[in-house]
Amino acid sequence: MKTKVILSILFFSSTVLSGYKFETILDDLDDAWSIVFLSEDKVLYTEMPGKLKIASLSDKTITNINNVPSVQYGGQGGLSEVVLDPDFKSNNMIYFSYSAKDKNGKSTLFLSSAELRENSLINTKVLFEAKAPRRSPVHLAAKIAFLKDGTILLASGDGFDHREQAQTLDNHFGKIIRINKDGSVPSDNPFINTKNALPEIYSYGHRNMQGLVVTSSGDIYEHEHGPRGGDEMNFVEPALNYGWPAITYGIDYSGAVISPFTEKEGMEQPLLHWTPSIAPSDMIYYEGSVYPELKNSFLVTALVSKDVKKVTFKDKVDNQESLFSELDIRLRNIQASPNGIIYLLTDGPKGKLIKVLPSE
Amino acid sequence: MNIAKYPFAILSAALFTVMLITPISSISNLIWLASADMPVGFITWIEVILFDFQRLGIALYAVVIIGFGIAFSVAGLISRYSSYSGKYLFAVAGAVAIGMALFLMVELLFLTYLLGGDRSIIGKILHCVAGFLGGYFFYSLVSVERSYTFIIRFLGVLYAYLILGSLLEWIFTPVNAAANFGFVLNDLSSAAQNALLRDFTSFFLAIFLFAIIGVVTLNPAWFFSASIIFIGAAIFNLVAIYIHGTEYNQIFITEFILGGWPAILGLIIILKKDKTKK
Repeated sequence: MKTKVILSILFFSSTVLSGYKFETILDDLDDAWSIVFLSEDKVLYTEMPGKLKIASLSDKTITNINNVPSVQYGGQGGLSEVVLDPDFKSNNMIYFSYSAKDKNGKSTLFLSSAELRENSLINTKVLFEAKAPRRSPVHLAAKIAFLKDGTILLASGDGFDHREQAQTLDNHFGKIIRINKDGSVPSDNPFINTKNALPEIYSYGHRNMQGLVVTSSGDIYEHEHGPRGGDEMNFVEPALNYGWPAITYGIDYSGAVISPFTEKEGMEQPLLHWTPSIAPSDMIYYEGSVYPELKNSFLVTALVSKDVKKVTFKDKVDNQESLFSELDIRLRNIQASPNGIIYLLTDGPKGKLIKVLPSE
Repeated sequence: MNIAKYPFAILSAALFTVMLITPISSISNLIWLASADMPVGFITWIEVILFDFQRLGIALYAVVIIGFGIAFSVAGLISRYSSYSGKYLFAVAGAVAIGMALFLMVELLFLTYLLGGDRSIIGKILHCVAGFLGGYFFYSLVSVERSYTFIIRFLGVLYAYLILGSLLEWIFTPVNAAANFGFVLNDLSSAAQNALLRDFTSFFLAIFLFAIIGVVTLNPAWFFSASIIFIGAAIFNLVAIYIHGTEYNQIFITEFILGGWPAILGLIIILKKDKTKK
């Protein structure tokens, strides 16, 4: 998989795999951003204004979680990703990312941990505050994933106005961060002994990462929004520079050139890039058995193309297919339940949680 | 002509100002790229500045037109009902219009800076200076009587400006240019790629140059030359569809429009010359 092959995908086939049924399980969700399964029946999910809730999928009851820290809601910020500790069953620990103001009144990204006990958060602790202050909460990324060694990866976006800082190591703009569960820095982080580099940095040169996956084999994949064009999917390795904004396949929203360069020695090429943009919003690596045709493939939700891209790799990008486009709705998040059933979270106010079932 | 003079002067001054503004973002970006050890050479400078002038410029053009429309109207009223008047009043109005436009773009777009060149103090100052010069240019256009050729020239420049985008794409980023035409360049054979690259580039270069020479000389033959190329493309597009059986491609509508535009300019020149002779 380490063979980096670029595939410039200018036009996607509109192939739609038929044979799926959709069932709306929850609706009226208020800007829901992230879901995680506590059991086959219960999901924990975030709403950007700062609500953390548990929903029962069978009786559709919703319970508010108390003691959630206040967040800065607005722009692209708010309560974002929530994940469970790999040992959640024994320690009830959860981890969540959010935007809030730092001590100087600037917006930045936070990662906290807490115990989830009787519908309340207790022993909440801020594990990480990004040194990435910005005027407004945009381009935060905020995705969280656990590595197999139990350390945490956190995607910290480029802050839009601070894109050039993704190329320097003295800040957390446009970086993937790696920390321990107690917030300390792992001793084997790649830049821990690099002068003027922040020790939490794992990789750099990223933009606004919205998908972060660690496969069962321990490989790390992320995808990130490009500007106009140049959405990327990358294979992440420590210490590597993914190039933003010095190399990119996109142009600025204004039409301006960000960089006329698409490659440079010492900067990684994406596994693939989506031009024009699909606005990838989340990603899982599906290893369940409910949908055999999706097994061992990446499923990428998209806001603009309003579908799920099934992406499979061998030595190169060998297949992409568009799934669920009949829903024709902006998709924010995708998760597989413990039994392998796929659930889709739609974007924005009045959001829905949609269960995807094989038709047979 | 007196009535038409003012809107066309605003459109011209706005285009002139956009021409001054866009390099501010381009250059600030190029300086950063060079500082990041990217191989920024002369061709890169040309490529980025021209692309930004065309693509970023089109986005900014509407903003500047609105800003100037309001600012120059207010300046006109002040000039009429006070002792303040003259070129510097309009120049200051232009600077204020650009400054206010930059401020509102940030405040209304999630407090983010859409223009790279607006992120520094010196960038902001340079933008306002461009607005100042734009206002000065506006005053110089309206302060003397203008003939119909002023409008012809403006419309010819605007036409060339629009064509410039396609020309730059075919020169610098032909893969993207091909994608805009609905095909993947790299899927074609080498010979086909070569043929398309040279033909398309020549096509847009010729039309761009004919339009510019037409603007300079006001000789209608140049405008008709540009027109013949585009209308020819439209006609042979239909031939390709209905005689050679290619897929329907509605771009012929755009081709007829872009062919008709310079033809009308050429016809106006001829008609006006005839009137003058009589």
